[in-house]
Amino acid sequence: MSDVPLKNPGWAGNTGEFDLTEEQIRGEDFIGERPLHGGHSSVSGTMPYMLIEKNPEAELFEGEYQERLKKILTRYPKKRAALLPVLSMVQELRGHVSPESMDRVAELLDLSPAYVRGVATFYTMYNKRPVGRHLVQVCTNISCNLCGADEVLAAFLECTGTELGEISEDGDFTVIEAECLAACGFPTCVQINSRYFENVTPADIPKIVEHLRAQVKGGD
Amino acid sequence: MAELVTLTIDGQEVSVPRGTTILEAAKKIGKQVPHYCYHPGMSSPAMCRLCLVEVEGAPKSMPSCVTAVTEDQIVHTESKQAVGNREGVLEFYLVNHPLDCPICDMSGECDLQDYVHAEGRAHGRSEEPKRVFGRDDFGGDVLFYGDRCVMCTRCVRFMNEVEQDERLTVVERGNRSVIDTFFEEGLEGTHWHGNIIDICPVGALVSKEFLYKARAWDLEHTPSICPSCSQGCNIELHTRDNLIQRIKPRENLEVNGWWMCDYGRHNHGWMNRGIRLEDPLVRTLDGAAGPMRWRDALEQLLQHVGVMGEGRVKAVATPFASNEDLGTLAELVGTLGGGDMVYRSVRVEEEVVLKGFPTLARRKDLAPNTNGAELIGFTRVGDDQAAGGLEDIAKHDGIVIIMGDELSDQAEDFGQEAGLFVYLGDQQSPAASNAHFVFPLTTFAEQEGSFTNIARRVQRFSPALEPSSMARPAWLILGALAAELNNGDAPRSAADAFSGLARRVEAFAGLTYQDIGIRGAVVNETYVLSES
Repeated sequence: MSDVPLKNPGWAGNTGEFDLTEEQIRGEDFIGERPLHGGHSSVSGTMPYMLIEKNPEAELFEGEYQERLKKILTRYPKKRAALLPVLSMVQELRGHVSPESMDRVAELLDLSPAYVRGVATFYTMYNKRPVGRHLVQVCTNISCNLCGADEVLAAFLECTGTELGEISEDGDFTVIEAECLAACGFPTCVQINSRYFENVTPADIPKIVEHLRAQVKGGD
Repeated sequence: MAELVTLTIDGQEVSVPRGTTILEAAKKIGKQVPHYCYHPGMSSPAMCRLCLVEVEGAPKSMPSCVTAVTEDQIVHTESKQAVGNREGVLEFYLVNHPLDCPICDMSGECDLQDYVHAEGRAHGRSEEPKRVFGRDDFGGDVLFYGDRCVMCTRCVRFMNEVEQDERLTVVERGNRSVIDTFFEEGLEGTHWHGNIIDICPVGALVSKEFLYKARAWDLEHTPSICPSCSQGCNIELHTRDNLIQRIKPRENLEVNGWWMCDYGRHNHGWMNRGIRLEDPLVRTLDGAAGPMRWRDALEQLLQHVGVMGEGRVKAVATPFASNEDLGTLAELVGTLGGGDMVYRSVRVEEEVVLKGFPTLARRKDLAPNTNGAELIGFTRVGDDQAAGGLEDIAKHDGIVIIMGDELSDQAEDFGQEAGLFVYLGDQQSPAASNAHFVFPLTTFAEQEGSFTNIARRVQRFSPALEPSSMARPAWLILGALAAELNNGDAPRSAADAFSGLARRVEAFAGLTYQDIGIRGAVVNETYVLSES
């Protein structure tokens, strides 16, 4: 990579990030999940993932998260540009982006709280209210819908015992509809937390839900 | 001037400076391209898609609000393609619009109403239920009706770019988008938010103060000058039933752009005040003041002056009086042998500057004509609350003339020792209690005249209200008196009174009402209408 001649005027030169190994990117203690400090700064702002246990009162930007915030800020010329990854980080910790969190982020990045609210509400992947330990997003867009997404959605609701968009009584599940998840070749697609489950049929669902419940009990 | 570019719009050739947008070029030949998001005072996001025009050679329609003109460009704003675009876009605007024009405050001055009436489809084809948001109180004077909004984001950009206090934002996306503040934050504490109501092209942002007060087509619009500070914002007084219903800013790039502050906008209650001086009052020997006809009152006053002879005159005027009133008062004082002329004015500590248009501010002097008074020879006395400073006038034994100043801070015996005490004002006030002559005046909203603003710009205002039957402008009364005393000609109009002022006061020399026109003129610099 480092030998690529400078043909493209927009090519900034080799920053080194494309030569990294997976261990370097994900951190040395990689055990299937990224470390909380986010790994290498080239990816620290991306790929948010959900923690099973969320604490809506969690302290933001402390300890390892502060380290990650610093890495994120190094990636942009202006603080304003770091808004999306910072909001992701807030969601990872607290499970949703509350008005208080928006205010805190605005203060941190020198933005107006109204602007942060505008951005946070524009993107549907930021949860504006609390969700269960597992967030199940069933694609009901065209391809999936033609292949039975409505039945899959109904089966999830029945199996978890929740209403659409609500948190189940045990706090384990929130089931919502999603617009196209870009897996139209494998309908029905369901995104659970940050993982895709493809070719899902209503018959698969008890097993999936059982598996998720076991994760909660096992303290995974 | 920049290099000129010549292009053809709807068959008419027009030459404009390079960099001008097609929309602005079309304005030059009287073509108004319909638009919502574009506003000359702010950036253009080109998101309303209504100003799309056909440009020959371009692969598709171009948004005229951001497309710069090029040499030999041929633009069609009325072609089948352009009109078809607008018809389609307007149909989309009406998909979720509630069409509640009969109860909407904007009805009659609404761009959506106008454009749809002109070029929209007679019937919408959407059969889906409309989404409903209801209304939201933004705090301050602003009420938001989400259903009527066309998402032009003019209000968001005004707060970001002009007021530079990012309180507003677009929340959510797609057909769920609404304008909102940060939850309950609101617009409270901002000083210019009334402007977002003016620039809203539809009835989404309406004024709480004006809500359900009058229909747009019942209002008469009179060009005027804001009397609430010395900035002299160009305004329109909107009247109905001989009452001022609201104040709107009037465009003048030299003074206020398109904007005005909330203080000036809402400070119009006093113009409608009903308790007024009705008749000229003359105090008889037994001390009671009785009404009298103007002719008799003025004759009696002249007799009094004859008895008094010439002596030191002390005059107090209000800086709310016009140049004409102040100038004629100065002339009368001169005719009577000269004397002290003073004014008092409220002054606040801070200016409230509009950050995105920094030549506009709510000024420290909360009166429109302090600068005119200074130029005409009045000196400022008293403190920042417009109180005090009249100690030697209160005990003066010569002629005392009070014009407009209500003297509400003065002791009851003010002017008791005066040989002749004349009070001219628009309402009954403590000042009138010891006066020998009390003359009812018209307010600035009831007469023609001019103010001199902080940049010494003379600007004219027009009468918007019918005065009560006996009230007269001060220049008419004082001018008639002065003419009697010095055998001159009494001014017959405000223009007349102003030319008298221009003859006597050097700062105004050479200015006439015609020079001032509708845009104003800086003193001693005759205004030339520029080509641009």
